[in-house]
Amino acid sequence: MKIYHGGPGYKEDERMHWLSKKRYKIGLVIPTLVVYMVFIIIPIGMSIGYSFTKYSGIGKATFNGLTNYMRLFKDRLFWISLKNTMIMFILAFVLLLSLSFLIALLLNNKLKGVDFSKSLIFSPAIIAPIIVGIIWVYILDPNIGIINNVLDAIGASGLKQKWIGGNTLSPYSIAIIYFWQQLGYLVTVFIAGLKMIPGEVLEAVEIDGASFIQKTMYVTIPMMKSTISTVAVLIITGVFKIFEIVQQTTGGGPNHLSETLVTYSYSMTFNSGDYGYGMSLATFTFLLSLVITGIYSILTRERGE
Amino acid sequence: MKKKSLKKVTSAVLVAAMSMGLLAGCGGSKSSEEAKTDADGATVIKFGIHVANPKKQETVTYNIVQGFNKENKGKYKVEFVAADTEAHSKNMKLAAQDGSLPEIVHLDSAEAPEYNEAGYLLDMSDFLKENKDIDDALDGMEDAFNDGKVQYGLPYQSNVQGFFYNKDLFDKAGIAYPTDDTTYDEFLDMIAKLKNSGVTPIAIGSKNSGYSMWEFNEFFSRYGWEDNEKSYTGDKAKYSNDDMNACFEKIKGLADAGAFPENMATIEYFDAKQLFNEGKAAMFGTGQWDCAEFDKNVGEHIGFWWGPKFGDSSYEQNIAMKVPAAPLVVSSAVKDNDKAKEALYAFLKYYYGEEAAKISYEGSIFPATNYDGIAATDSQYAMNAMITALGNGWETPKAAPDQTVTPAVQEAMYDAIFGVMQGTYSPKDALKNMDSAAAN
Repeated sequence: MKIYHGGPGYKEDERMHWLSKKRYKIGLVIPTLVVYMVFIIIPIGMSIGYSFTKYSGIGKATFNGLTNYMRLFKDRLFWISLKNTMIMFILAFVLLLSLSFLIALLLNNKLKGVDFSKSLIFSPAIIAPIIVGIIWVYILDPNIGIINNVLDAIGASGLKQKWIGGNTLSPYSIAIIYFWQQLGYLVTVFIAGLKMIPGEVLEAVEIDGASFIQKTMYVTIPMMKSTISTVAVLIITGVFKIFEIVQQTTGGGPNHLSETLVTYSYSMTFNSGDYGYGMSLATFTFLLSLVITGIYSILTRERGE
Repeated sequence: MKKKSLKKVTSAVLVAAMSMGLLAGCGGSKSSEEAKTDADGATVIKFGIHVANPKKQETVTYNIVQGFNKENKGKYKVEFVAADTEAHSKNMKLAAQDGSLPEIVHLDSAEAPEYNEAGYLLDMSDFLKENKDIDDALDGMEDAFNDGKVQYGLPYQSNVQGFFYNKDLFDKAGIAYPTDDTTYDEFLDMIAKLKNSGVTPIAIGSKNSGYSMWEFNEFFSRYGWEDNEKSYTGDKAKYSNDDMNACFEKIKGLADAGAFPENMATIEYFDAKQLFNEGKAAMFGTGQWDCAEFDKNVGEHIGFWWGPKFGDSSYEQNIAMKVPAAPLVVSSAVKDNDKAKEALYAFLKYYYGEEAAKISYEGSIFPATNYDGIAATDSQYAMNAMITALGNGWETPKAAPDQTVTPAVQEAMYDAIFGVMQGTYSPKDALKNMDSAAAN
């Protein structure tokens, strides 16, 4: 049934009908598709191609089959960078998803100072990651960092740690920095999602006498599923792109012990001039993020959808 | 029907044009065989340099270029293509692939042979044949960049590398200055005393600056790097041996003695240098490029030392680490461009000439060339300290050890040195990593 048939909206409806024709849809999509192909798909394809070669970035690449991938699994530093990436992923995923949602719930209420708090929480998101790294060097550095100096000042020198630059804590510290940087942005996404929940539904639940926890568990979270999924995907893809923070705080060191997959790929490609191996690392990272995103999508897919 | 077909054709043409435009945009442009000229009609040649701000970071080279441009106004002009070391390396690789390599480029010694093999570089033998005086002034230093067939580069400068030390801090700690005969054990004793005096014995930083290991090139040489050159270069290089193990054990010994800053993993070369400039560190390993800065900050208290001698090494210990700096290379595209070649040869004549050598000395940089009657002034304390050290007449290696290996091994070597210093690797593991890098 056409709602506007014969009415004043008829012409608009016809125009919409014109737009719904397959060939026009294709025509509209093509420019975007071309840009996407040239700047995303083709470079990914080329990277995958180079991952099967020995190439120093100078001269011609020579095909070497699966050698780079075989080397990858024997490379101790690859496993370290994978472990670090997964530490950052798990920490960031758990902390960011839960805390950003809770903070959004809190800030969605009409409390005093909410607007100021929103600005404060969002502010790290507008700082360039490279600057974020510099700021945190002055907080975490074992010698000049605020934390260790405060510990010294209060007579708790025994608690001093190599928060960055040591053999253990760097990936955890980097996950915390990433958490700090991303929190405000994700809180904002959640608040936008919360605003989409019809007020009458929440009012009805309150009239029915549901507690805050019941309201959150049985109404808010189910109605926020698509927002939660979006945030989860943002976190997953974001963690696999952490680069500047690592470069600025530790440079991947000491001795690659705080490398992530991305920084190790960069180091192999541009510092060691081993483009083929670097691209095999990049391809692995790309596939891993695809797999994790895919698993998450499958696990959270609603039945019957 | 006709109208529809026309629309289809138009759409297809537009899409194709857009795609081609994008692809063309990505493709870059091939270097023109026509020489570029500026508003005054001067032939312009590009100089790819490894620092972002040549005026501040490579003042001598900047002054030489300005001197050349002034002398050749309206005829030739050199313009810098500047980027920091890492970005410069990436940019030059892309430019080489793209055919847009600047006419003259500063390249890392480890990368230059690959550019040569790929045919990107001009053989500079003709230039040397045409300029016998320059060939003589280089005095064989150019051999480091000759593969037996092609003279693919000429040394940018002479690098003199070792330990600078602050005499004032040594005096305060009551320690005698190191000499040509100071042994490794005496060095360890010196480090302990400096540490007790409250200063960092040796400033060094590994964050994004693994390359800042110049003082250890002397260690490698004193453990026979040059004598065993064949074992340490090429595809079959092997570093796990008693000599290199002993060498790395000495580096470990320094770390165990607390010679280095605790936060060396989170500070860079520039931060470490700052520690030395501010009198918080007693020694700093570097080369002559930092002389001017030390003159300003440490002044007459500066001293220079080659490093300790090793009693357990059977190799030559009287080695002065005066080596050719990474090469200047010329794009092979210049071969087909007479005007650019003419301008480039004029620049090289100036760069390796007497006037440029004077500019170098004024800026406390040792040029690659030797000309009589050019010397440092009395207030160039750091350079004079180096000249004094060079006065012993010791033999000099053909190239610094870290400049004789492939980029992958070089990176593994830097990683190995800092790994041993930071306790991440044992000397044996560090050497195994270097072996693996060579094998890959």
